[in-house]
Amino acid sequence: MSSTSRKYRRTACTGLALVLPLAALAACGGGGTTDTSAESGSGKGTISVWAHQGQKSEDAAVQAAVKSFNSSQSDIKVELKLIPGNDYTKTITATDASELPDVMEFDGPTMANFVYNKKLAPIDDFVSTKTMGNATDASKSQGEIGGKHYGLAMYDSGLGVYGNKKLLDAAGVKYPTSVDDAWTADEFTAALKALKAKDSDGKTLDVQEGNGLATEWGTYGFAPIVWSAGGSLLKDGKAEGALDTPASVSALKTFQSWKSYVDPNTDGNAFAKDRVALSWVGHWMYPTYSEALGDDLVVLPLPDFGNGPKTGQGSWAWGIGADSKNAKAAGAFMDYLLNDTNVTAMTTANGAPPATKTALAASELYKQGGPLQLFADQLAKPCGDADISKSCVAVTRPVTAGYPTITAKFGEALNSIYGGTDPKEALSKAARAIDQDFSDNAGYQIP
Amino acid sequence: MKSVEPAHAAPPAREQAPPVTDVKPARPARPGRRNRDWLHGLLMSTPAVAGLIAFVGIPFCYAVVLSVHNVRLGSPLEPTFFGLEQYRRLFTDPDMSGPFLRSLLNNLTFAVVVVPVQTGLALGLAILLNRKLKAIGVFRSLFFMPVVFPMALVAVIWRLILARSDQGMLNSALDAVSFGNWGAFDWLGDSATAMASIIVLSIWQGVGFQMVILLAGLQQIPGELYEAAELDRAGRWQQFRHVTLPGIRGTLVFVVMLTSVLSFRVFDQVYVLVKGGGLNEDATRTVMYQAVTTAFDQNNVGQAAAITVVFFLIVVALTLIQRRVVRPDNED
Repeated sequence: MSSTSRKYRRTACTGLALVLPLAALAACGGGGTTDTSAESGSGKGTISVWAHQGQKSEDAAVQAAVKSFNSSQSDIKVELKLIPGNDYTKTITATDASELPDVMEFDGPTMANFVYNKKLAPIDDFVSTKTMGNATDASKSQGEIGGKHYGLAMYDSGLGVYGNKKLLDAAGVKYPTSVDDAWTADEFTAALKALKAKDSDGKTLDVQEGNGLATEWGTYGFAPIVWSAGGSLLKDGKAEGALDTPASVSALKTFQSWKSYVDPNTDGNAFAKDRVALSWVGHWMYPTYSEALGDDLVVLPLPDFGNGPKTGQGSWAWGIGADSKNAKAAGAFMDYLLNDTNVTAMTTANGAPPATKTALAASELYKQGGPLQLFADQLAKPCGDADISKSCVAVTRPVTAGYPTITAKFGEALNSIYGGTDPKEALSKAARAIDQDFSDNAGYQIP
Repeated sequence: MKSVEPAHAAPPAREQAPPVTDVKPARPARPGRRNRDWLHGLLMSTPAVAGLIAFVGIPFCYAVVLSVHNVRLGSPLEPTFFGLEQYRRLFTDPDMSGPFLRSLLNNLTFAVVVVPVQTGLALGLAILLNRKLKAIGVFRSLFFMPVVFPMALVAVIWRLILARSDQGMLNSALDAVSFGNWGAFDWLGDSATAMASIIVLSIWQGVGFQMVILLAGLQQIPGELYEAAELDRAGRWQQFRHVTLPGIRGTLVFVVMLTSVLSFRVFDQVYVLVKGGGLNEDATRTVMYQAVTTAFDQNNVGQAAAITVVFFLIVVALTLIQRRVVRPDNED
C-alpha cells in the first residue's frame, strides 16, 4: 500500500517538476523534511530578507532599518529584497523552502499555510525574551500555532470609515464618535442618502474598489460585515451554516445596495480630493488623508449589522525561514527590527497601530485622545478568530492552512454580489466550495 | 551507447556481401535513395519534434496524470489518486461546472467575435496603409504601437477609459458629445458590456500585429496585376475581390489561424481588470483565468490540470476543424 502511494506521489512530483517547476520544489521539498526548526548557525555572516513592497513610505522604513542595522554592527550583513505586494504571497507559496530567505515577511492570515507547508520555523529560540515580552497580546496570538510562535509583527491593523467633517456637516449628517455609538447599517444607508443629496455626482462613498474585491482586500475589508451580522467565515472547520446565514445574506444585500453610492475611485484620490465624504478603508490611509484634510478628518467605526461593529485585525509579520542556516543572526535582525525606533518609524510611515507595548504606549496617534484612538480601542477588544461575541470588536481572520481557499471563495462571492448576484446564492456556493476543499485536504490538520 | 552497436554490426554484413554483389546492381537504386530521404527528413525534423514533445507532449501527459490526483501546491499531504473526480466536478457539480462552462462559453464568444472582426479590421488597416503617401512610416508605426505595449499595461490604461461613473474617460467623452444627456454607464461591471469591453481593448491591442503581416502580404502582390485589372476596367471592388484577395489568401489563412490560437489564450486583460476591481468576473472569466487562479490562488493543482486538459482537447479539436475548413490552396 505504501509503495503504491509512494509511486503515485513520485509520479505526481515528477509531473510537477515538468509542468510547474517551482511548485514541484515546494511540494516535494516540503514533504521531505520532518523537522522544521532552522539551524541556529554562527550568528555571523550574510542573511537574506524578503519583504513585501507596499506604500513607498513603508518600503523606505524597511530599507532604512536594514541600512542602519548593517552599519550598527559588523558581524551580520542583511540583504533585503522587496517583492511587489500583489504577488508576494504567491511567490512564497511557489518557492521551495530551501530557497526561502532567512527572514521573511508574510501576511498574517497566510502564516498557518506556511507553517503547514513547513516554510516557517518557530522563532522562540532565536528572538530575545525581551522582544517577545514586548509584543502586544494581539501580535503574539496572531503568530502562535500549537504553543509555538512563528511570527511577530511590527504593526497591527484596523478598519474604519474615514469621514470628511466639512461634507458631513454640510449635509447635516450626525456621525458616531466612538465604537460604542457606531452607526447601524440603516443609519449608514441614511447617511449615504443625505450626503448624496448634497453631492454633484451622487457618489459619496469610497470602498477602495481599485484594490479589487476578489482579492485579500475584499476578505479583509468586508468580512466584518459577515461578522457584524453574527456570521462567520468558518466555524468548527465548516463554512456551510456559518457563512451563509440569513443574517449574513441580508447584510450583504445591504452592502450590495450601497454600490450606487460608491465612487469607482480609479485615480485613488476620491476622498483626498473631497469627491466623497466617506471612505471605508484601514488605518493605512491615515497619513495621506490627514495630510489632505487636516482637521476635517474624522475616524468612525464600521457600521453595526446587529452583532456589534466589527473590524479586521492582523497584518504583516516577520518570521524565520524553515531552512535558514543562520537563524541566530536572523533572530538578531528581528530583535533589531522590532525595537522602538524601527517600529515607531514604520508605524509613522503607514499610520498603523504599533504591535509592541512600548511603541504603542508612546504612540502619538493611538494614545488616549490621539486622533486614531478609535483603532486602539477596537484592538483592545479582540475576538480571536472563533469567539465572535457582541461585545468584542477586532476579529482575526481564520487561522487555518485552508485560508487561501477561504479568501479566494469569499472574495469571489463578494465580487459577484457587488456585481449584482443574489447574495444567498453566492454565499452558499462559496461555503460549499470551502467545505469541499477542506474535506479534500483532511481538514488541513497541521501535522 | 546503443546507437553505436548497429554501426559495429554493419561492417560484417558488408563483408558477407561480396558473394551477393552481382545481385545488387540489378536492384534499382531508388529505394535506397528514398530511404535516405526519409532518414534525412526525420533528422531535420528532430529538433522541432523534440521541442514539441518536451514542451507540449510531456507537459500534457503529466497534466493528465495530475488531473486524476488530488495534488495541492505546497501541501505536506501526499497526493492521492482521485480518479475522474476532478472531471466529474467540472462537468456535473453545479458549483464547479457553472463557472467552468461559463468560462468555456466566454472563451468561445471571444474567439467567435475577435477572429473575424480583428482580421477584417487588420485587412482594412493594411490596405489603408499600403499606399505611397508621405510619412507613411509614421502612420504604420502609430497603428503598430499598441502591439508594443504589454497587455497588462494596456489593461490598466483601459481601466481608466472604461471606468464607471463620470470619472471614466469614455463616459465623460460620451457625456460631452451628447451635451450631458449620457448618464454614467458601468462598462466593466455590467454583464452585457463587460465581455464587449474586453473584446474591444483586445482588438485595439492586437490588431496592429495582424496588420503588419497582411501589409507584408499585400506588398507581395505585383503592381502589374492592378494595372492589368485597370485596363480591363475593373473597379476598386472588383480589383479587391479578384486581385487583392487571391493574392493574400495564404497570408489571410495564416492570420486567421494565428488570431484564433491567440484568442483562446486570453488571460492578461481579464486578470488585470478583475484585480483592479469593478470587472464582472462571471461575464468575463476565461478558461485560462480559471486555471491560473485555481492553481495559484487556491493551490488546487489537480483541478487546474483537469481544466487545462479539457481545454487543450477542445482547442486542438477546434483547430483541426478550422484547418479542414480554411485549408490554404496548394499554391504554396
